[in-house]
Amino acid sequence: MANPSLEATVDPNLIAGFIAELGSDSSATVPLLQAIQTQYGYLPRTAMDLVVEQTEISGSQLYGVATFYAQFRLKPVGRHLIKVCHGTACHVTGADRINTSLHYQLNIQGEDEDTASNGSYTMVDVACIGCCSQAPLIVVDEEVHGNLNGAKAQKAVRMHARKAGEELPKAVKQSLKS
Amino acid sequence: MNAQGIEIIVGEGTCGIAAGSKEVIDIFKEQAPGAKVRSVSCAGMCHMEVITEVRDATGKSFMYGKVNKKGVAKILDFHLKGGAFPEELQIVSPQAPEHENSQYLARQTRIALRNVGQLDPTSIEEYQSRDGYKAIEKILREGLSQDQVIAEVKTAGIRGRGGAGFPTAVKWGFAKAQDSETKYLVCNGDEGDPGAFMDRSLLEGDPHNVIEGMLIAAYAFGANKGYAYIRAEYPLAVKNFGLAIEKAKKAGYLGENILGSKMSFELKIKEGAGAFVCGEETALLASIEGERGMPRLRPPFPAVKGLFGKPTIINNVETLSNLAWIINQGGEAYAAYGTEDSKGTKVFALAGAVKRGGLVEVPMGTTLREVIYDIGGGSSTDRPIKAIQLGGPSGGVIPAEVFDTPIEYAAINATGAIMGSGGMIVMDSKTCMVDLAKFFMEFNHLESCGKCTLCRIGTLRIRELLSKISEGKGAMEDLDILENLSKQVMSGSLCALGGTAPNPVLTTLRYFRSEYEAHINEKRCPAAVCKALISHVVIQADCTGCTLCEKACPTDAITGQPKVAHSYEIDMNKCINCSMCVEVCKPDCILVE
Repeated sequence: MANPSLEATVDPNLIAGFIAELGSDSSATVPLLQAIQTQYGYLPRTAMDLVVEQTEISGSQLYGVATFYAQFRLKPVGRHLIKVCHGTACHVTGADRINTSLHYQLNIQGEDEDTASNGSYTMVDVACIGCCSQAPLIVVDEEVHGNLNGAKAQKAVRMHARKAGEELPKAVKQSLKS
Repeated sequence: MNAQGIEIIVGEGTCGIAAGSKEVIDIFKEQAPGAKVRSVSCAGMCHMEVITEVRDATGKSFMYGKVNKKGVAKILDFHLKGGAFPEELQIVSPQAPEHENSQYLARQTRIALRNVGQLDPTSIEEYQSRDGYKAIEKILREGLSQDQVIAEVKTAGIRGRGGAGFPTAVKWGFAKAQDSETKYLVCNGDEGDPGAFMDRSLLEGDPHNVIEGMLIAAYAFGANKGYAYIRAEYPLAVKNFGLAIEKAKKAGYLGENILGSKMSFELKIKEGAGAFVCGEETALLASIEGERGMPRLRPPFPAVKGLFGKPTIINNVETLSNLAWIINQGGEAYAAYGTEDSKGTKVFALAGAVKRGGLVEVPMGTTLREVIYDIGGGSSTDRPIKAIQLGGPSGGVIPAEVFDTPIEYAAINATGAIMGSGGMIVMDSKTCMVDLAKFFMEFNHLESCGKCTLCRIGTLRIRELLSKISEGKGAMEDLDILENLSKQVMSGSLCALGGTAPNPVLTTLRYFRSEYEAHINEKRCPAAVCKALISHVVIQADCTGCTLCEKACPTDAITGQPKVAHSYEIDMNKCINCSMCVEVCKPDCILVE
């Protein structure tokens, strides 16, 4: 794990509260996972274990559902989330370039990495956000930015970082040729 | 000057926010104290965001688009200080009623979209003031029977707008025939089709209309419990719809004994968790039950045995949004629009390389050309439009030669595409058809739930073949294999995802075979998109030495002497063909070929 410091400390009372509110039968699976992810930004193993202990939901079902849906992630997440839209309109207008430019800006290296080394931002690719006429676009935390290109996307993240008091890692030019 | 008596209305859908509506509102509030500033939902004129309507003291309405900080100043100058009319910003106004910008709305027929951009979605009173909840009141107070409601909708002839196009009234009939204490109605707002956003706009912008549609449907077949399944990627839709449920409950439209009648209907939101396959009815039900969203064998159909084993009807958001209008105006009024095959109107989400993108609602039978050119205004680039993609990952491309095809289910199917939910992406000569097919197959492969072997593995094999071709390593036999494999995936899959997944491949092969051949035989990507087959070169003669490309390059492939013209060049060994330099180059001197 690149960022052990990002691992969440799970509060068992909170998980018990979610179960009390959302139910403990099979139909509560998705809402429970959503509640946990909203709280911690990802699904910590300890929280999933607590759900299995305290509900009718089996470990295989919980894990099966968590890995089936695109929304859920099992890896810790940075302090802020950047969603890069990869809908059709965004694809044909250059969503790939946004990925390249933000990976460069945040110095995210390696195929499987999606979080800046200082834990500031995590990038995820999402299916359509449904603002196709403003393509390509990204969502930084709750802010939607449209009509971007690589440079404008970097600017949007830079502005966000300034407001949020985040420092961006130093961009390092690197060989990406495989 | 005094801004009293003036009302300023700013569109705040997700796209308005993306374009900067929050800032515009702040500036208006600061610079026009005294004016009443409020926000409404998105009007589906995404190309004109941020949209602002000004109602002056005499009640005249002026609608402006592309409003930014400077625009606010011009608008206020005109309305408050008698300055010049900002014609370049106008969409609809008494000053220039025939202006080109007004054509986008003027040529549409808005039934499902009748309220979006017109009202504040958080206010039930505003919906009521536009005939809201009149339809369900008419049904319950006048005591219309279930059969009468079904008959009215049958006369309207509306078919499911989610993609499959099954007649709505017939579907209800199946569930009505079931004898069960509990019946479910599910509103399918899992708009997973990339490129479609009408459901988002309706849920965000006119949630009460969707709720009233659900009440009408629930009454027709006797549902007493309902779920609105909404994508988690649409946070504003979830928020606005949730608020609308609360307000509808308080006003007595939801809950026990609605408006004093025997009807009861309980409505909850279920947030989707991101799976395209959940647009399929039985997968969606599995998802609500807490399972992985995998389709189930039919029969039994959901209308007989659906959610938690009870009779269940799943209706799409757009379908539901038409129902109140149909009950109020009558089925015949709805059927007066459209063609013999397809009645009423259909909403399209127009985007891509088109001048005026956004939501377009037109009567069935309108031609694609009218939508793309008359309403959309044609190409937004200086390049010609070569095709549209209709119906998303399950749909196909339709080339410019057949743009005279009328919009109706049978005619669209004949082109090899599908109506789908109505995502229409316009593409110019810069879109590579092999790359597009690869994009959709990658999507379909990732979204395949894995239940059926041919869908799970077949979509992967198709994607691999397309990757091979896009890298210039394909052979002509591969095209035959692609066609053959596509047919097998379609026939060997349980649900519509696999059943339509190869459409993007088959339609691009049908209409743009020459592009595939260029990749295979000439190792060339005619649209200059496929990275393995292109290269970036600086046209030295035009280079000004501005250094922007060097700064943008993530791999240090561009070098030269700052401020020295004609000095920059690209090292092919380092260049990854990401085109970021092209985006920043002011003299446009980087050639991609």
